[in-house]
Amino acid sequence: MTTRLVCGGALIGIIAVAYLAATQPEPARTILVAVALVVALVFVVALVPVRTKGQPSVTTVEPEALTTHAGLRSQPGVAEVLEALPVGVMIIGEDGKIRSFNTAAGEVFGVPAERATNRALIEIVRNFELDRRVGATLRDGVEETSELTYVAAQQRYLQVTTRVLAGDGSRSALVIVTDQTRMRELETLRRDFVSNVSHELRTPLTAVKLMVETLQTGVERPASDEFLGSIAQETERMIALVEDLLDLARLESGKLEMRLGAVDIGELCRQAVQAQRARAHTLGIALECSTPDAPITISADRDKLSQVIANLLDNALRHTPPSGHVKLAASNSNGAVNIVVSDTGSGIPSTALPHVFERFYVVDPARARSRSGTGLGLAIVKHIIEAHGGTITATSELGVGTSFHCTFANV
Amino acid sequence: MGRENFHRILEETQQNVLRMGSLVEEAITKAVDALTRSDTKLADEILKADDYVDDLNVLIETNCLNLLALQQPMASDLRTIAAMLDIVIDLERIGDHACDIAQITKNLANEPQLKPLVDIPLMAAKAREMLRESLDAFSHHDAQAAHEVPRKDDEVDRLYRKVFAELIQFMANDPKAIGRASNLLLVALYLERIADHSTNICERVVYMVEGVPKKLKRSVVEFNEVLAHSDEIMQTSTPAAAD
Repeated sequence: MTTRLVCGGALIGIIAVAYLAATQPEPARTILVAVALVVALVFVVALVPVRTKGQPSVTTVEPEALTTHAGLRSQPGVAEVLEALPVGVMIIGEDGKIRSFNTAAGEVFGVPAERATNRALIEIVRNFELDRRVGATLRDGVEETSELTYVAAQQRYLQVTTRVLAGDGSRSALVIVTDQTRMRELETLRRDFVSNVSHELRTPLTAVKLMVETLQTGVERPASDEFLGSIAQETERMIALVEDLLDLARLESGKLEMRLGAVDIGELCRQAVQAQRARAHTLGIALECSTPDAPITISADRDKLSQVIANLLDNALRHTPPSGHVKLAASNSNGAVNIVVSDTGSGIPSTALPHVFERFYVVDPARARSRSGTGLGLAIVKHIIEAHGGTITATSELGVGTSFHCTFANV
Repeated sequence: MGRENFHRILEETQQNVLRMGSLVEEAITKAVDALTRSDTKLADEILKADDYVDDLNVLIETNCLNLLALQQPMASDLRTIAAMLDIVIDLERIGDHACDIAQITKNLANEPQLKPLVDIPLMAAKAREMLRESLDAFSHHDAQAAHEVPRKDDEVDRLYRKVFAELIQFMANDPKAIGRASNLLLVALYLERIADHSTNICERVVYMVEGVPKKLKRSVVEFNEVLAHSDEIMQTSTPAAAD
């Protein structure tokens, strides 16, 4: 990121600030940015010629001037640089009042920057720990870099660096705030994903290992046939998981090849229901299909859409008890094509609904163990529908049932 | 004490009220977090941090009384000091409720969870939101904002009724769950009380700004209705057979 430095109408230089890679240790990264800023300012400003009445002259600035609050604010371009920085920067005066508060700090703390100036820090950022640290910097010159959890409308994980700005007998505090919430979320997602995949693979592998060891000790038929059948089943389960993972990876990276063509949604739905009829009958679930007689044609990848409908039907059948009802309906209205899969299962709590399309998310872990499935079906469904420019939403009521609504533009 | 010094101390005292408020806000979040995760270490931290809340309470009260005794404040300054004396009582009680929840976490540490907590964290989030907004109103002397906050009390009370009915059902179905369920009932009650204390703070803010004491809109949990419903649940439930 760069900003221009202009003096007397002439461009005198550029200040470039690089946001270092995530592999850099956090304190080093923050301090490096601040030091780079100060050094760049010294370098550029020291070379500015100040012209007075035709007499060229060079003004040099002592680096110490840039470590005081007054020094910083008096240098041309500093305010613009502070505003452009992607990290929150605050300067707190000796009286505990905010002297400078950039836009990034406003975004982190959810306060417009203009409201913050000349207010006490605790009035604007209501966090006891931050207030305590800045107080320690102002009172005792304590400088530190450490983490801080800030809870307002949302919870945010911050890295806060406090430094002393001294000079002219007074002391100010420089506070640099980096929002690490997103990085933490990604790290948690990554950790959970690895843990889930490991668990999903370890369970069938453990079962296969035990059965193989038993077979190696010598087992007569029909027990050996039973073991071999179970090994085949567990192997299929692992293959399905790996294929789903690969599908998901391709979808998320945008590398999945879509073979678009004219697809009759009504026909697709009827075929999907027919494929599940026998299973529904075995489970004691009434399976209904509602499609108009006239074709509903959209431009889509036929195989992918079949996968979507099959996944949704499979989900509905797994979560509906015997004597329940599953319905697949397709319709064309107001320029949109709708596919709705609804069931009379136990429903999903409202707190879980926003998460059902996440990888490996299970509403009730205890029940999930007794059912088959990779835990990736709905995540894949969502990606495929969005790759078609469509949307999917879920509605549910506990004790009544769940509906999944897919909408595509009518093309 | 000169007038300049008076205003400086008054401003500092208001800032201390906000410091105390931020400590108790954090305590609520941590307390329910600790309960959800059965984290006794976090519960101990909350109990220890209450000392800071009490120290700030004493400091604020002392400063307010000194200002009243030595400065004879008038008009809005007088109302501000009077409001702060009331507000810190509510904040101190909220801090105590957070500690009570932390203590319940320790009491239930070795017990299996009755069920995943869903409505109690929702109640905590709502109660905390009310507290934060009431302190925002105090910080900005905003009576209009103070009028809005108590309207959210309806949602907290609705959640409280729901949790109450659910826990009564648990107790009716399984007498072995009575110990755990009654502790969770207390947690829900403390959160409902925190929301009420936030409404009290808003009433103080309105008085501070407008100069007229006023009771703000709040819904009242009709306990007779809740108890009648729980009687119904007890009568129609079949307890699990004892081991």
